[in-house]
Amino acid sequence: MPEEVKPKPSPDSPEEMSRRRFFVKLGVGSVAVAALGTAAFSYEYLSPNVLYEPSPVVDAGKPDHYAPDSVTLDPQTAIYVVRTGEGFFALSAICTHLGCLTAYKPDLGIIACPCHGSKFNKDGVKIEGPAPRPLPWLRMWLSDEGNLMVDRANAIAIKQLVRV
Amino acid sequence: MSTPKDFVAVLDSDARKTPRRIAFITKRTSPQVRVKDEERVMTYPEVFFRVAVAITTLTIALVVVALLWDAPLEGLADPMHTPNPAKAPWYFLGLQEMLHYFPPVVAGVLVPGLVVMALIIIPYFNINIEAEGMWVKDKERRLRIFGIVVVLFSIFLAVFHVWVALVPTLIIAGLMYIAAQSDPQTATGFRRSLARRPLSFWIMTWFLFELVVLTVIGTFFRGPGWSWVLPWKGAL
Amino acid sequence: MANTLDQLVDQVRENRIWRSIFRSGTGDSNLHKSLFVQQNVFLHLFSIKARKRTLEFSATWYLGALTFGTFMILVVTGVLLMLYYHPSAPQAYADMKDLQYVVSSGVFLRNLHRWSAHAMVFLVFAHMFKVFYRGAYRTPREFNWVIGVVLLLVTLLLSYTGYLLPWDQLAYWAVTVGSNIASAVPLMGAKIRFLMLGGTAVNANALLRFYVLHCVILPLTAFLFIAVHFWRIRKDGGIYAGDHASEGSNQ
Repeated sequence: MPEEVKPKPSPDSPEEMSRRRFFVKLGVGSVAVAALGTAAFSYEYLSPNVLYEPSPVVDAGKPDHYAPDSVTLDPQTAIYVVRTGEGFFALSAICTHLGCLTAYKPDLGIIACPCHGSKFNKDGVKIEGPAPRPLPWLRMWLSDEGNLMVDRANAIAIKQLVRV
Repeated sequence: MSTPKDFVAVLDSDARKTPRRIAFITKRTSPQVRVKDEERVMTYPEVFFRVAVAITTLTIALVVVALLWDAPLEGLADPMHTPNPAKAPWYFLGLQEMLHYFPPVVAGVLVPGLVVMALIIIPYFNINIEAEGMWVKDKERRLRIFGIVVVLFSIFLAVFHVWVALVPTLIIAGLMYIAAQSDPQTATGFRRSLARRPLSFWIMTWFLFELVVLTVIGTFFRGPGWSWVLPWKGAL
Repeated sequence: MANTLDQLVDQVRENRIWRSIFRSGTGDSNLHKSLFVQQNVFLHLFSIKARKRTLEFSATWYLGALTFGTFMILVVTGVLLMLYYHPSAPQAYADMKDLQYVVSSGVFLRNLHRWSAHAMVFLVFAHMFKVFYRGAYRTPREFNWVIGVVLLLVTLLLSYTGYLLPWDQLAYWAVTVGSNIASAVPLMGAKIRFLMLGGTAVNANALLRFYVLHCVILPLTAFLFIAVHFWRIRKDGGIYAGDHASEGSNQ
């Protein structure tokens, strides 16, 4: 049976090319989307949703436990509870230089860091040393039971005292 | 099977397609240039794209399964309470089924050990290299040996009440007998394909069959106390 | 828009930094396709050309490649799971619950790991049977078959050691039964069990040993033997495709 044989489009003719290129682009695009999605999900997976660490909020006990005009270090929670004539405030005991635990020197009346020689006064202001910032004041309040509470995750910009 | 010469000289062809090679192969060392000329394609992209498609398909299938079905997690490990039944992972259930019949030395050490050894030595034994049907040569003698082996093995399994292994054995033995009664030249279809199988095929097929049957039984047909259960009904 | 994308891709590929990393060039020539394989540290394990018959699906069913694919999935999901898993009892069980309820995508990763493990055991058996039934274990491929049997054992051991790690009832008793079978080995059985568990009972030591076996020792062993397995394929003349063309010339 005589038939007209339609010439087959060569691989370089415009219609073949665009169809192939379309599918190539589709494939590459899908791989790109999959890769982005994998990256996003991996990031979510790697960031823990729950931390098994102690709470930043510290119960510092009753105000009467602290002698007037005293600076008391709690090394476990790394805070200073400072009692002045007017009231209470809390300082972070972690040196702002590189994170060492500072210590209070009562005879000198200063807070000193053993690592690189930074020194701070009782208000946390730096006296000398490589520390770039003063020791931060931490948010402090009185609980319903009358205990001093300190939030180590929140520093306060305006220096306020808790008056008892 | 052995050639009188201790080398084979082969000339590979068509320099346009493959580099011209002259190989002297002595004493069956590797590689063996047996096929003269074969069509070759570029590894990239032919091989890589096919493998990529295969692995991608597999990954998609596994991801779908992982999204739909949860892996099991039972209660916290409690040394004081043994669950009933305490089943091994599915690939060991065949073994655990055999532990029901035989002592641990046999089912746990001997049989797996022999299986592994048998697997390892497969390629070094001539019966696995011959490609002709097992009943072609020496039929009478082989049938006799076959009969004796099947009878002895069946008696052994029956004595220990290992019906789960006996039934598949008898099925395979039956198929082998049908193969013996079929002429590989004149038979057609299924009987012809059976008649052409070498002994190595039958042994491996028996092993595969036993593996599947024992694993299926251990998975679905064994309940508390390793008792027989019908999975669609519950305990008998 | 399509053109500018192509132009962008071309610009990137002609960039000096790109060309210093990917040196095999571009294009459709056989030279480029050869260099793509031969100049790549991972890919040059393959030969430049492959025999066309070996690529047919019916030849191998791609079972070897699929087994390797599941292994890769297991390594990736396994490493990710390791970031949330503490191999100590009973913390391990708490971590499993964490993965299920607390960690983003935790349940998906664990499921994928578990089902890929089952798939890998199934595929490695299927691969072995397929290789046997097509006769691809015969000379000169005998030793590669033996390597394959070793890999089968490593796969089963990987699955078995991983089974204990969730520290649930299923895990604990499966390993108890398994270790008691090990003690049935004549003469050395008790010693084997003692070494396996790092003690006389399935406890913290056993969990840690199985963890190290599962995450370090056995994967390294697997990688080593996989490398030899792939190398032997190359050295033995490539994937066996059934040389019925000239059977009997050397046997």
